[in-house]
Formats: sequence, C-alpha cells, structure tokens
Amino acid sequence: MHEISLVRNIFRTLEAEFEKDELEKLSQIDLKVGLLSNVEPILMQNAFEAVTQDEQRFQKAELQVNVVPIIIKCELCGDESEVKNYSFKCSNGHPTKNIIQGEELTIERVHFHE
Amino acid sequence: MAAEKSNKAARGTVQCDNSSFNLLKANDFVADTIRKFVAEKQILLVNITSSAGSGKTTLMQETARRLSSKIKMKVLVGDLETERDADRIKQAGVEALQIVTGGICHLEAQMVWQAMEQIDLEGVELLFVENVGNLVCPSSFDLGEDFRVTLLASTEGDDKPKKYPKMFYTSDLMLVSKADLLPYIPFSVEAAIQDARDVNPDIEALQISSTSGEGIDEWCSWLEEKVKLKKESESMPV
Ligand SMILES: Nc1nc2c(ncn2[C@@H]2O[C@H](COP(=O)(O)OP(=O)(O)OP(=O)(O)O)[C@@H](O)[C@H]2O)c(=O)[nH]1
Ligand SMILES: [Mg+2]
Ligand SMILES: [Zn+2]
Repeated sequence: MHEISLVRNIFRTLEAEFEKDELEKLSQIDLKVGLLSNVEPILMQNAFEAVTQDEQRFQKAELQVNVVPIIIKCELCGDESEVKNYSFKCSNGHPTKNIIQGEELTIERVHFHE
Repeated sequence: MAAEKSNKAARGTVQCDNSSFNLLKANDFVADTIRKFVAEKQILLVNITSSAGSGKTTLMQETARRLSSKIKMKVLVGDLETERDADRIKQAGVEALQIVTGGICHLEAQMVWQAMEQIDLEGVELLFVENVGNLVCPSSFDLGEDFRVTLLASTEGDDKPKKYPKMFYTSDLMLVSKADLLPYIPFSVEAAIQDARDVNPDIEALQISSTSGEGIDEWCSWLEEKVKLKKESESMPV
C-alpha cells in the first residue's frame, strides 16, 4: 500500500510547483510510471480517489497512469531492447542492468481548465 | 523548494520534464543524506528485506551472537506494530531500536534518519535496518544503504524472484533462508538463483539456516569483508 504515500507525494509536489489558485483549475494529472517502479495503476487510482475524498482536495481532477516498458541498452554490443518477463538480457543474450527506461515514477503532464 | 514555483500562470497542458516532478524525490533526498553520513562515519549500512516471517529477526539474533564481540553493531527494526522484534534482538546482546510504522508497509528514508538520531552511533561499524516484511513496497524506497540483502525462505517457493522482480533487481545479496527445511519441501535452490540472476545479473546468493547454522559462517564472512572494505574506504566529509 505504498500508493497512498505516492498520492500524497503527488499533492505535495503540485503544491510546491504551482500556485494555489492555479491548482483550483486542475483537470488532469498524467503520471509516467515505469514497469519496474512497482506501481499498480488500479491501486494508484483507488488511492487517488481515497486521498482526494479524505483531504477534500483535487476532487475535480482525473488521474491518468501511463505505464512504460523497461528498455535496456547493452554496454557490450549497444543493442537496445525491451525487457520481457523481467529477463535482463539484450537481444544477443548479454546480461545487463543498464536501464534507459522503466524506472520512472513521475508527473509527466498536468492539464488545467482554461 | 517552495521559494520558486516553476509555473506561474499555468494554462492548458503543462509538460513536467524536470526532476522536481519525481514522486520519490523527498525520499531520495533523505537517502542521500544518510548515504553521506554513513560514508563519513564509515558505518556499513545494510537493509534487510523479505516477505513477512522469512527469518529476518532470527538472523539478526544469530548474527549478533556470532559477530557482536568482533564488530560493533546496532539494529533498527521496522514493523507495522509492536516492539517485539527489537526486544528479541536486544536479548541477543545488541542495541536495537524499533521503528513502528503505524500501518505503513515499508520504511522510508525519513523514518530511518529519525531513528538514527535517537541512537548513539559513535564507533558503530555495522548498522542493520530490518525492513517491514513485504517484498513489494520496501523495494522502491532507497534508505541510503550500502547493501540490500533479501531473504527468500525455502517455505515461500522458488518462483519469488520473478514474481517480485523489483526487490531482487535492487538487491545485492539473496539469502535462501530456512535451508534446514529444504529436504521436506519442493524448492529448487538452483532455480531460485537462476531466476534471481535473470532479473539481476549481479546478485550474489547464499544458502543459510539460522536453526542449523548452515551458511552462517559464510554470511558472517561476507559481512566482515564488507565492514573491512568500508573502514578502508576514504572517510567522505559531509
Ligand atoms: N526452520 C526454520 N525456521 C526458522 C528459521 N529462521 C527463522 N525461523 C522461524 O520462522 C519464523 C519467523 O521468523 P522471524 O525471524 O520472526 O521472521 P521475520 O522475517 O523477522 O518476520 P517479520 O519481521 O514479521 O516479517 C519464526 O517462527 C522463526 O523461529 C530457520 O532458519 N529455520
Ligand atoms: Mg522481524
Ligand atoms: Zn549485448
């Protein structure tokens, strides 16, 4: 249930980055979530509903969770490939932990009512 | 942070592509503070994770009995409720401080940092953090540790590294625990290690039992080696 902590972090981040009256017009938050970040979109949505209800904030805003796959770049042969089944090997079979995408846990975009 | 708001008159769609929109930045900031602190004090910080009941506290007790005369160690232990694990560790002869998370299923760097301020770390060479028993949430929270060690008990099944990949991906050492039960359970140590290495090519593995003592010497040598390396490292000023 670390989703609740993460939702609180979304709020804290938005409050640090935007003015209060701007946030009144918030309509949608897009999260970019790497497959390796351990965020389950449904649980995140549920946590968002729960916290917005509980704190009576951002109730008009929608949360969109975009999951992106894990991409590695092999240091040995330069191959870039998607990690399937959590098998960290390039297409030529070299083991690597050089992740270039898939660990993100970030607010990608926010939308405001005009 | 609060002084400068990057987006004055926000309208329409705002693209957020700087690191201040990373949702773990507060945790990562404190984790870096801890990392610098233990580098300066040359304390080896080890984060112990596993599912609930895989034998973390029992291993802390056994490690305390074997090593506390050679290495000055302390333990911080996280649990949702109760002080029981800290009491068990104290009985084995080392100072332990309970961090009660009050329902939170993982430790965050801030909780560890606060606990570190409550104990005397002068002369401490090895500081363990026993995390909350859970293979999911603790994997996302950097505690500033030098090493993350994950226990996988033989009773849990050998398929866990692929089911909880992030934990094994972020761990340095996997301990296959409760090895004394292996003769009675269909658990393939080779399969577990192979899956763990598929997720994390760099992970080390040991087979241990706190009950029979199997592998505990190897575990203690691993720790002694890491403590030695940490003490030989440059003390990094904060
Ligand atoms: N057979 C066997 N049992 C063990 C071993 N190590 C621990 N146990 C038992 O497993 C149970 C759980 O052990 P703990 O050490 O409390 O596990 P833990 O990981 O600290 O549990 P939580 O902190 O609640 O997540 C206890 O009943 C221990 O006696 C072992 O090596 N072999
Ligand atoms: Mg315990
Ligand atoms: Zn390659």
